[in-house]
Amino acid sequence: MSATVEASVVVAGASWPESDVDTITPVTGFVVSTFNPLVAEVANRCMSGYDGEIVPERTAIVLASVNGDVTSADAVADAVATGARVAPLLFFQSNPNAVLGHIAARWGLAGPVVCTSPTGDPMADAVVCAELLFAAGEADAALVITAEVAGGSDRAEAVLVMARERA
Amino acid sequence: MADRPVLITAVAARTAFGRDGTRLRAEGFAGVPAFGPVTRFDTEGRRTRHAATLPGAPALVDELVGVINEVYTGPGSTVPLLLAVHADAGNQALAAEVAARTGVLGVSRVYTGACVAATSAVADAATMIATGRAERVLVAAGYLVEPSTFALFDAGRALARDGRVRPFSAGRQGMLLGDGVAAVLLESSGSNPVARLVGWSRAGDAYHVCKPRPDGKGLARAIAGALDRADLSTSDIGYVNANGTGTEFNDAAEVAALRLAGLDRVPVSSTKSVHGHALEASGLVELVATVQALNSGALPVNSGYLGADPACDLDLVVDVPRRAHIEYALTVNAAFGGANTALLVGAA
Repeated sequence: MSATVEASVVVAGASWPESDVDTITPVTGFVVSTFNPLVAEVANRCMSGYDGEIVPERTAIVLASVNGDVTSADAVADAVATGARVAPLLFFQSNPNAVLGHIAARWGLAGPVVCTSPTGDPMADAVVCAELLFAAGEADAALVITAEVAGGSDRAEAVLVMARERA
Repeated sequence: MADRPVLITAVAARTAFGRDGTRLRAEGFAGVPAFGPVTRFDTEGRRTRHAATLPGAPALVDELVGVINEVYTGPGSTVPLLLAVHADAGNQALAAEVAARTGVLGVSRVYTGACVAATSAVADAATMIATGRAERVLVAAGYLVEPSTFALFDAGRALARDGRVRPFSAGRQGMLLGDGVAAVLLESSGSNPVARLVGWSRAGDAYHVCKPRPDGKGLARAIAGALDRADLSTSDIGYVNANGTGTEFNDAAEVAALRLAGLDRVPVSSTKSVHGHALEASGLVELVATVQALNSGALPVNSGYLGADPACDLDLVVDVPRRAHIEYALTVNAAFGGANTALLVGAA
């Protein structure tokens, strides 16, 4: 895969689902919601499919999700409304950064970590975020992920992009 | 071509100290905490009842519109807005309402990256200006204490049971939440700036889902990046507004980072000790506090200090505000996922 996008070049990509029977590998410590395992799954597929070199400390992770982890948020809201106990593990997954910590540790990516809710096309805007990191000199590669679990149709996409001058 | 300058031409912050910065700068900088029992919702069964809140039950959208209107009165249609709030399915609608009520050019995205959401937005806004992508950018962020997050942080045993936030202190028990809504206007030029944003940088830990790297290397790299961008050294820095959440993990890792960066002998305080943790908005509230410190010549007290923790050997500002004429100040933040940011502010 090699497509040029503005100031960056896509060097690897992956998506979920890849078929009607595609599955998601659970991630230890993440409960209730498919959001975080979905993000990890597509990130792992993307990174596994890239056999080139990256500089870990110069590789960012950008996650864009319009709705975020609505399943976890609804579970907490329901527990609060009914007076039920809130599971401690939900604290750790209370924001989208958490699963990026898992991915960063798994792949050794020690560049900037950015999470957004875009108002336009999620992948296009997430790539803009990566390009701002490149323009600032904060990174020269980025694992860019989009994920949605709203509406019962989970889907996610990931691309590894390089700053054009580096690629 | 050299980067264009990034000026901070207006700031505003609303906290439990009120809707202007007067009491934050006076009582807050003196170390008077704004924590009290939460009355906005029921805290029965939680380990703590305390937070730092504005009176009543303010609406986030109203507060965001309010701070944006405080910092920018020009034609809205010429200025883009970057927002930072908690990740939520309602963020598109929130952005649309804020845009409609303020008339800004547009909100391309809402930053949701936990405790570095707002500072990441500031970094991107600064890059947009420095590289000529924009002449001016508004950044606004908000968090108002509400029952779901309160319950989550309580479930995670992150909240201080003694009703105080004691960053870097012996006997610290954790954090407390606090209302925080802030806005800054960054511009490439302006006749009367309040400060300059001379450096910004982000770096990751690649370590854990929620714990910071104990050796502080990620945050130290963010600090080094901000210094490099500004072409400054640690000896130029007169004050560090720390992330300082008051938790065991964060504070020790942050001290390790400041030590690695060579900043452990620079005056340090965490204003979370008085206004609480405003989560996604915390970095913007603390940027405003840092600008206030720079311009007032008074460094805010690290409140709640009970005594030295050997793991947190810093030059903490305790007891009373420290008078100091400083040219540069740093504000640092760290978040779940090992996300770290450093913003370096220079006097106007």
